[in-house]
Amino acid sequence: MNPIAERLLSRARAQGADAAEAYLSRGTEFTVKVFNGEIESLVSAASRGVGLRTFSEHRVGFAYTSDTDAAALDALADEALRNGRYNHAEEANVLPEPEVIEELSGLYAPDLGSIDPQRKVEFALEMERVATSLDPRVRRVSDVVYSDGAGHVELANTRGLDVGFERTVAYGVIDAIAEQDSERQSGFAFTYSRDLDGLDLAGVAREAVDNAVGLLGGRRVRTARVPVVLHPDAGTMILGVMGSSFSGEAVLKRRSLLAGKLGQPVAAPAVTIVDDARLPGGLASRPFDGEGVPARRIELVKDGMLLGYLQNTYTARRSGGQSTGSAVRSYKSVPEVGVTNLVLQPGTQKRDDIIGRVDDGLHVEQLHGLNTVNPVSGEFSFGVSGHWIRDGRLAEPVREMTVAGNLIGVLKLIVGVADDLRFRFAGGFCGCPTVLIEELAIGGD
Amino acid sequence: MPLLDPSLADAVIRRALRSGADFAELFVERKRNQAVSVEESQVQRVSSGNDRGAGLRIIHGGVVSYIYTEDLSENGLLKTAEVAASVGRRGGGRFALGQVVDTPHPPQEVELDPGGVDVEAKVELLLEADQAAREKGGEIRQVAVGYGESRQEVLVVNSEGVQHQDARTRVRLMVQAVAERNGEIQTAMEAPGAQRGFEFFDEASAAEYARMAAERALMLLDAAPSPAGTMPVVVGNEFGGVLFHEACGHGLEADFVSKGSTVFTGKVGQTVASPIVTAIDDGTLKARWGTLGVDDEGVPTRRTVLIQDGVLVSYMFDRLRAGQLAHPVTGNGRRQSYQHLPIPRMTNTFIAPGAHSVEDIIAATPRGLYARKLGAGQVDVVTGDFVFAVTEGYLIEAGRVGRLVRGATIVGNGPRALHRIDMVGNDLKLAPGTCGKDGQGVPVSVGQPTIRISELTVGGTGVVPAGAMRP
Repeated sequence: MNPIAERLLSRARAQGADAAEAYLSRGTEFTVKVFNGEIESLVSAASRGVGLRTFSEHRVGFAYTSDTDAAALDALADEALRNGRYNHAEEANVLPEPEVIEELSGLYAPDLGSIDPQRKVEFALEMERVATSLDPRVRRVSDVVYSDGAGHVELANTRGLDVGFERTVAYGVIDAIAEQDSERQSGFAFTYSRDLDGLDLAGVAREAVDNAVGLLGGRRVRTARVPVVLHPDAGTMILGVMGSSFSGEAVLKRRSLLAGKLGQPVAAPAVTIVDDARLPGGLASRPFDGEGVPARRIELVKDGMLLGYLQNTYTARRSGGQSTGSAVRSYKSVPEVGVTNLVLQPGTQKRDDIIGRVDDGLHVEQLHGLNTVNPVSGEFSFGVSGHWIRDGRLAEPVREMTVAGNLIGVLKLIVGVADDLRFRFAGGFCGCPTVLIEELAIGGD
Repeated sequence: MPLLDPSLADAVIRRALRSGADFAELFVERKRNQAVSVEESQVQRVSSGNDRGAGLRIIHGGVVSYIYTEDLSENGLLKTAEVAASVGRRGGGRFALGQVVDTPHPPQEVELDPGGVDVEAKVELLLEADQAAREKGGEIRQVAVGYGESRQEVLVVNSEGVQHQDARTRVRLMVQAVAERNGEIQTAMEAPGAQRGFEFFDEASAAEYARMAAERALMLLDAAPSPAGTMPVVVGNEFGGVLFHEACGHGLEADFVSKGSTVFTGKVGQTVASPIVTAIDDGTLKARWGTLGVDDEGVPTRRTVLIQDGVLVSYMFDRLRAGQLAHPVTGNGRRQSYQHLPIPRMTNTFIAPGAHSVEDIIAATPRGLYARKLGAGQVDVVTGDFVFAVTEGYLIEAGRVGRLVRGATIVGNGPRALHRIDMVGNDLKLAPGTCGKDGQGVPVSVGQPTIRISELTVGGTGVVPAGAMRP
């Protein structure tokens, strides 16, 4: 066991805790931003911290620190216990039964840390160079970033759990600016992988440029109710917002719009949603959750029916079920409930065929104001831009419009799901294909 | 007690300069926080945290390198300085930093250090608020109440000999009420806070804020869906200022300006807003959420007029961008923590009060939306396009406040909206918020009096003509 964890657990026991759990994380970060062919800034660091959860007569205490001196560790244990004294005692406050953790490969690129930083700098410079040379209307970027990190988690508790894993991620981001006459548009694109070599430089540059240029000349259209096609870039963002509704914690506290709907239809039959913590290639994949419960694949919605919620040990005990291995946390927080790789399963139709079904409608490519959704009522009204669909094809660009509705309403109105699954970080690592929504209110002129 | 022995700080700076860098700066931070939450009328969580670390920035020929660590021992810091000197890149460019000239303001004083207040008192405050919200009736199904406090101490030491320290103590209350009727759920939230000690709650009644949240959640159960379309919008005071913050404030931050990525680039001296608009950023206001003695680069904060009578006067600068654009510093160099580089950020930013009462403004509006309270929002800095949730909105009909509507958002373009502000009220108020940019969250105040924008797009689901669909 890690000596820091060992010291914390034994101090907590000595001070009277019935049980305790230490969560240690350390990580490295390398980030380079470039602008105009030069490095703008470079960040390189190693960082660490530890959080301690104590249980005394079913009262939970918690404290964290980034200071791992011996004296600070002892003080941390005492502080966690002191905090716990005020808390409400509940039978559901327990550590999970230790289970065997199956290994999960492919999470870690061992070479990432040893790659010459100069290669990463070159990668960022090349992203900018390519993005500004593809189209005469894109001569500038507002942001080009390469970043990577390695994270190491260790979790130990007084029930004998002592596990850990390492994970890496690398990404490149481009925010391009397209200019034409006096108009400007921004186009954002990203590429993610476990390591530098997995990043798609040409693809991300092309996409950022296309996104910016494609919206030039965009105009508002009339206020109406029309069919809406969601591009995966928009669909993944909406899915990310929905993620919190599947939380058993939100359900318990009546903050989920899916509360009380278990076994009922909450979406159209074409919709199946899973949270798969062991998804190969999923950047949120992990062998175990924030409490050491094995991570797994959970079917949340199948053919439109709500099959279950995500649970951690506490919410599972409260609701009479089993933990789904869905505890999420950092060393600065106790385990909450959250998604990992959240996927709306792809269908069989081609994207073009989906668009082909619409005579007159809106193709939504960018969503703004995702944080304006009311997660409890599910009501939303996003700012959107994209293209008008006329006679089954993408026509002129459209901007400064709103699309409004209710999240559940949208799920029930999905009448087409394409086969073009794409992922992005949006709360969790969310995957969604192009979907067709029968009708939504769009606001414009 | 100083955050770090001055001679050690000095040694770290000297070592960081070894490879010939032009500038080195050490930012040391210690932050303690505590949070208490009550849900289901019971104390759900008391937790506390202790963050301590340092970030070292070196600039060499215009290239910024940054490294941070939690190891504040002499060995740890000197090693960090070595690494910084070795990984740091040198650029060929010349650069200048905006100069730190004024003497710093003293840190904000607090009467009652929240860290020294018994947890029992905090719990009592929350239970009182919980009770007050629940007394609003059986349709209030859930109440979540939280208390948070933090005390952040920072030290900035640099190779120019600057050594400034600051301390920021903040307390905040959060109340969320959930109301339910026939399966329909509505929610409302209040979150007052200040850069003060626990004495803040002598004046701000937790129970009163809880009642306000509960009443609004109940009211929303009776609200009709908001109509969609283009119309005049009256935006309420206080947190309504988030509209200016997002839609214009960010565009006036000098990092965007120096890259030419904002619509306000090169417009100083030009008319960018209607002549009744004056906007200010002021990091010196007493006890405000975004107030600082010195910013996170050691620069004393100040009052900066951004827009005067519609004319763009100044951007907001950190030292690097002040140097790039040859402008005096404004004390807007801020960072979330020692793990982040300082960048230009707002402090307390608001539209100055005008002549009209709210009643005048409503009466002068035959038809439109009264967005009395705004929620979260987002803006695209390049285009200036924004979107905001309206958390309490009413229809305006024949110059009167009419029906409450729910689910409305307002969408528009910041620069265009600035020109379309045609009435400014006399009821300026500020509200706290956390502003996110480049992955860094910092505390700020937003604010404004009630204003009217002659035309904005309103999004909602109500009263929209039906369209055609072929499945």
